[in-house]
Amino acid sequence: MSAEETSNAKSTQGAALATELLSAGYAGRAVVQELSIRVEPGEVVSVVGPNGSGKSTLLKALVGVVQVLSGKVLLDGKEITNWAPDAAARAGIGYVPQIDDVFAPLTVRENLEMGGYLLPLREVPGRMTHVLEVFPQLARMLSRKAGQLSGGERKMLAMGRVLMLQPRAFILDEPTANLAPALANTLLEDHIRQLSATGASVLVVEQRARAVLAISDRTYVLTGGRCRLEGTPAELLASPDFADTFLGGTRHASEPAAE
Amino acid sequence: MSQATLFYLANLLIYGAVDVIACLGLSMQFGVAGISNFGYIIFQSAGAYTAAVLSLPHDTANGGFQSYIGGFGLPFPIPLLGATVVGGLVALPFAILVGRRLTGHVAAIGLLVTAVMANLLVTNFVPLFNGAAGLSVVPQPLQNLLNPQTQTYQWIYGAVGAVIAVLVYLLFRRITESPYGRSMRAMRDNSVVANALGKDLLSMRTAMLVLGGMAAGLSGGILVGFITLWDPGAWGYAETIVLFAAIIIGGTGNHKGAILGAILVPVGFEEATRFIPSSLGPPGMIPALQWVAIGLLIVGFLWFRPQGIIPEPRRRIFARAQARLAHARGDQSPQATLATAASPPSGSPAASGGAILSTEGVVVSFSDVRAVDGVSISVGRGRLTGLIGPNGAGKSTLLAALAGTVPIAEGRIIFDGQDVSRVPAYLRARLGLVRTFQLASEFKRLTVVENLLSAVPAQSGDTLRGALRGRRYWEHDELEAIEEARDLMDHFGLLEYADSYAGNLSGGQRRLVEIMRAIMAKPKLLLLDEPMAGIHPTLARTIGRHLQTLCAQGMTILLVEHELGFMDEFCDPVIVLAEGRVLAEGTMGELRGQSEVVEAYLVG
Amino acid sequence: MSLFIESIGFGLITASVLAIAAVGFTVQFGVTDVLNLAYASVMICSAYVAYLINQLGHGQSIWLAMVVAAAFGAVVSLVLNKYIYAPFQRRGTSPVAVVIVSLGVLLIIEYLVQAFEGAANVSYTMTQGATLNFLGLTLTVVQLAIMGLSVVFMIGLHLLLRYTRFGKAMRATAADRVLARNCGIRTDRVITLACLLTGALCGVAGTVFAINTGSFGATSADLFLVLILAAVFLGGPGQPYGAMLGALVIGVVTEVSASVITADYKYVPAFVILLVVLAVRPRGLFSAGTLN
Repeated sequence: MSAEETSNAKSTQGAALATELLSAGYAGRAVVQELSIRVEPGEVVSVVGPNGSGKSTLLKALVGVVQVLSGKVLLDGKEITNWAPDAAARAGIGYVPQIDDVFAPLTVRENLEMGGYLLPLREVPGRMTHVLEVFPQLARMLSRKAGQLSGGERKMLAMGRVLMLQPRAFILDEPTANLAPALANTLLEDHIRQLSATGASVLVVEQRARAVLAISDRTYVLTGGRCRLEGTPAELLASPDFADTFLGGTRHASEPAAE
Repeated sequence: MSQATLFYLANLLIYGAVDVIACLGLSMQFGVAGISNFGYIIFQSAGAYTAAVLSLPHDTANGGFQSYIGGFGLPFPIPLLGATVVGGLVALPFAILVGRRLTGHVAAIGLLVTAVMANLLVTNFVPLFNGAAGLSVVPQPLQNLLNPQTQTYQWIYGAVGAVIAVLVYLLFRRITESPYGRSMRAMRDNSVVANALGKDLLSMRTAMLVLGGMAAGLSGGILVGFITLWDPGAWGYAETIVLFAAIIIGGTGNHKGAILGAILVPVGFEEATRFIPSSLGPPGMIPALQWVAIGLLIVGFLWFRPQGIIPEPRRRIFARAQARLAHARGDQSPQATLATAASPPSGSPAASGGAILSTEGVVVSFSDVRAVDGVSISVGRGRLTGLIGPNGAGKSTLLAALAGTVPIAEGRIIFDGQDVSRVPAYLRARLGLVRTFQLASEFKRLTVVENLLSAVPAQSGDTLRGALRGRRYWEHDELEAIEEARDLMDHFGLLEYADSYAGNLSGGQRRLVEIMRAIMAKPKLLLLDEPMAGIHPTLARTIGRHLQTLCAQGMTILLVEHELGFMDEFCDPVIVLAEGRVLAEGTMGELRGQSEVVEAYLVG
Repeated sequence: MSLFIESIGFGLITASVLAIAAVGFTVQFGVTDVLNLAYASVMICSAYVAYLINQLGHGQSIWLAMVVAAAFGAVVSLVLNKYIYAPFQRRGTSPVAVVIVSLGVLLIIEYLVQAFEGAANVSYTMTQGATLNFLGLTLTVVQLAIMGLSVVFMIGLHLLLRYTRFGKAMRATAADRVLARNCGIRTDRVITLACLLTGALCGVAGTVFAINTGSFGATSADLFLVLILAAVFLGGPGQPYGAMLGALVIGVVTEVSASVITADYKYVPAFVILLVVLAVRPRGLFSAGTLN
């Protein structure tokens, strides 16, 4: 489906997220190299690849935590390259980091309030009600400290915190890391897919390639900081190269390792 | 020159000697060992008090106008020796405080509070310390032989002080330039890594606190013998700041810097302001501004020249060793002395088989996550075993648990027939279980060759006693180790960087330094955590071949790596970890055939 | 017995002064990550500003002067953080070196005060008010006012941190600066406001400290700084509630020791408690997180 159709059909709030020949990394060393990706409104796009392929670095560059060395980050065609994280949040990007994803010493309610920091105060309770409808488990533990939650609860809180602002683009870094497999599948199937329902674009990095493929519209496969394969889940699963990029051995060993 | 000027110069010499000795002690603690001791001045105070009561007559002798412990009327140089010993003894409780648990600024504050508490106790405890009044009419050394009011006496006193200062400098330099001093600088740069290489942090910190305390005590003894007064009010924490200012300005980590700082700050500054007419401004303004200036100097130097006037020197020990060897060799071929380099690591050769390490149900928990969840593995002697698994599988955590960097909640770790589950990291390293770290962990302010040498086990100069015995005692071992390091550096193409700071190398080169350093430790079992990250594939293959050679010579290696091509080529067997548990074990070829392994990577 | 109760009264007053100072110190540390030892010098400098206002014309109310001192403390704290500590942090200077920088700043401020005001101690012109007796305690109106003020500040800070958006943003910033920015929080502004707030507490603490000690000089707060550190580290650095508890323990233990043992050693038991706590729990009694 095309971008126009999606955004018109569902909502006007979503925004296309894209990079153009993006290189980013630490201390001037590019971990991600000349990467061009695109997520349309209402679309769930995943990025998979072996350890150290630069997946997390890509996301961090999108939200202004890691420096972009060259290339562009675009949100609805507007350039937001190297914007500070708080400016990126204002522009409509909601980012859930892999670790350090909640304010551990704050209560669940306070975490959600911080998620809605940019909203006018009077809108916060309404949004919170909405978020608690999406994540009903959180309603029972509003006054608990986030640091005391279990792994799954914690990740739901992190997603709920981001949902407070109704971002135009969601960026999720390995949301299922450290979760039991059953829980991971529930999270991916029930919640992540749902984020795109309002028309927002969703970009998710995952280690559990097969599981994330099941909920993705399209997938990019990264190795060594570059895009190896790209396509719909069906295309990728049919491709003989796909499994090889993970367990492929020597074929990709000639690539300089990233991270 | 007038008499007054000469008296003044003699005075300067004495104060200079006192401050130089004190700054050298602090330089040892802060500059070399990295201990921020904000309570340093207490050691000087304790030494001064000891010297005073050792030389004073019994406290009833002067009509009992002041009270103190004892009053022994002992002759020079016993009071000075006593001051030195007590300065060191007072440091012991401080060592307990900063031992293993308190580090960084928590330790610094703990020491500050201890010092203030000690000062309050002393200032208020009349029976032992005569309270805030302090002690006066302390006898001067040898005052029966020579009138202390004469210029001759003061010059002799100053000369003796200067000689003692020089001796302290030579002694400290001897320690700092030894392998033991190198271990302390390693601890200063990264204490966790130093610990993992077998350095006993507690004992090194204790030694430096005591040694620095002895220097401080000695300086206090010299001072009190000259000014004949001991005023507890003069040992506030502002005095400690002055000494810190001195070594920061002179140059931290460099004893010459400490000497220069001592001359510039406590001595020079005090004296320079004497020449400002006191009629300027209200009374007390000039001394107050002097403190302001010291504050400005501290902030200014830390901003504009944090390394100080004389920065810590880069120790070009490799070049020096090469020159020495070339000289010793005469015109022999340079290859002749390389025989030692190929010496096989300890441990029996691969043929003996069996497991060098086995674990039973090892569990590591972080709050609610069981990062390692009941792992039982066994690592065959002389094998190059690989450890793979998706992100978050617990590979690094398992490695850390094996090395003792993180504690295990359940299970047992048997290494070389011994249960090491509760053995601290540095002792496991000494048993031959050495790890590298995933994040850069080279000692940045040590040169490449120093990094390598820091791992040599049981080096002869790597104890305080060995260091004190001097270069002649440890130099032979050192040169041998340097030759060995030379071979490694040559092999990995880092020879030209031997005398460069490791912190200035590229990311890949720093990884190499770490690997070489681990090899230098000649472990029985080497744990490598993603050693090839950031290393060019061609070089990775060179490293792989070298590791195989080491295994053939009897070393065992367990290696975490995500570049599976490397596993294919070099590792057998390979253990797969997922979700904190062992999923499979076999050659890469076998593993690729197992659907659950493929699933683990695809599904996570 | 009455002496004991009396000493508890003194302890509560000391604790009140200490609580204002320690809470300001610990919140500042939580948000800025700087262990600012120059805090004591800002306290004393503010107390001097209050003194100057107090002495203006025919004499001004010390309570009015305290407000000016609070404003002064706020501005100085902000300037110190923005132009000295934060640049050092951005450059990657080690935390211990930043502590040494703050010691340098301590010397600069204290002795500038001394250079201009002289070494002699000064006192505010004020009345202590009537003496009140209740529950076996004898307190002056001013002492009661200090305690009341402290309670008001503690409750106020509690309400701010728990129930206002800014207070929560401050706690969020202290807990995880990067994540706070991901939420759209402008952490630099939060830090600026936190410096102003804690600086104002510092100014008030300086003034009530000076009122409570009667007369003060440029270096009078040096020992008090150690008491602040003791309270802060007892409760766990960065923990406002910990600092309140720490201040209460240190304040009461100090004054009770003065009556039970002897005034000369009144600080010793409090310090011993601190060292034992540091040795057993290096991160203090409340070690869950920051600003909580």
